[in-house]
Amino acid sequence: MLNNIKIALFTLTALASTTAAIAQNHVHQQNDDQHQITIIDPWIRSAPANAPALGLFLKISNNTNQEVRLVSVHTPGYKRIELHRTINNNGMMKMVKQDFMPIPAQGKLHLKPGSWHVMLIGPNRVPGKGEKIELSLEFNNGNTQTIQALVRKGKRMMKHHSAH
Amino acid sequence: MNIKILTAIGALLLLITVAFYPLDGAKNYKSLSAQLATAQIMHNPDKPLSDFSLSDHNGHVFSNNNLKDNWTLLLFIYTHCPDICPTELANMSMLKAQLENTQAEVVPNVVAVTFDPLRDTPKVLKTYVTHFDKGFVGVSGDPQQIDQLVKDFGAYYERVIYDENGKQITLNKKESLPEDAIEKGYVINHTARIYLVSPDGEVLAGFPTSHNLSNMANDIEKLVKAFEE
Repeated sequence: MLNNIKIALFTLTALASTTAAIAQNHVHQQNDDQHQITIIDPWIRSAPANAPALGLFLKISNNTNQEVRLVSVHTPGYKRIELHRTINNNGMMKMVKQDFMPIPAQGKLHLKPGSWHVMLIGPNRVPGKGEKIELSLEFNNGNTQTIQALVRKGKRMMKHHSAH
Repeated sequence: MNIKILTAIGALLLLITVAFYPLDGAKNYKSLSAQLATAQIMHNPDKPLSDFSLSDHNGHVFSNNNLKDNWTLLLFIYTHCPDICPTELANMSMLKAQLENTQAEVVPNVVAVTFDPLRDTPKVLKTYVTHFDKGFVGVSGDPQQIDQLVKDFGAYYERVIYDENGKQITLNKKESLPEDAIEKGYVINHTARIYLVSPDGEVLAGFPTSHNLSNMANDIEKLVKAFEE
């Protein structure tokens, strides 16, 4: 009888330990996924009520040892969403559609006005200043990040230069 | 005899003055160039703007006369632009506020002419442009006249459409848009210079990208002063 109780207790303890270990491992895995790619300061430029397209900007930090690619962005209420890069070619500002956005290993990609940006085309309703829009970002490593982008006024396109 | 000599000298001086007056004016701007942080002098009396008659965002005629008797910052935009054009309009709003706050002698009017009159009607421009500043003026109208104005200002644009696979195709200037272009969407590659038009209704200077507002404000002050001298 005593032996049976000992066996039962041992089995329960072993089971509990295993479950805890699995759960802990799962938590680690989730944390690792979240920390692989970090999204900083996502924002949408506040736009006129009839704006046909909006710009989404953010910083993406890739904390892995491999290049990661942003392949798509999703949020309801838009006709389509495209990845774009503005390129200044001798004063000609070219809007170049991108299949993906590369974030180098242990590096960052800054989506900002006049550079890389996400184009939100054909909004059902243009969001107002101060609103937060939920979007999901899909990466080629299977990672998906859900973000809340604040609608706010744009910053200046370029930083200050010292006067010469 | 003396009278003849004096008359000859007087005539010669008058001739020299008349002959060199325009050059002297141009030289002033030339010497100003070195003092400008960002602006490039575009003043060219030999190439005045063509006559144009377009429409402002309230449906009123907007012609050469609207550029006269006041200072204007003119830029070309299109409302389907998600990046550069709203950035420039927001920058112009901040520049205007900066000039007002520093009690600058001149706060130019801001006029935004569309590259894309097909989609940017005066009504569309009114909602769009006045979002950035109630005083901004949007201008649309006849595509050929807009093209001429774009050329006169030394600006440039090209339309980019999408094929069935979503790949971008750049149209050359002579190619017209396909019938389904509005439905499928198109973007415009374009120059993004901002122009300072003086009260004689002619282009005085251009500000190439990128636009540093403090430098622009300082340069505008110098250009106004040089024009008024």
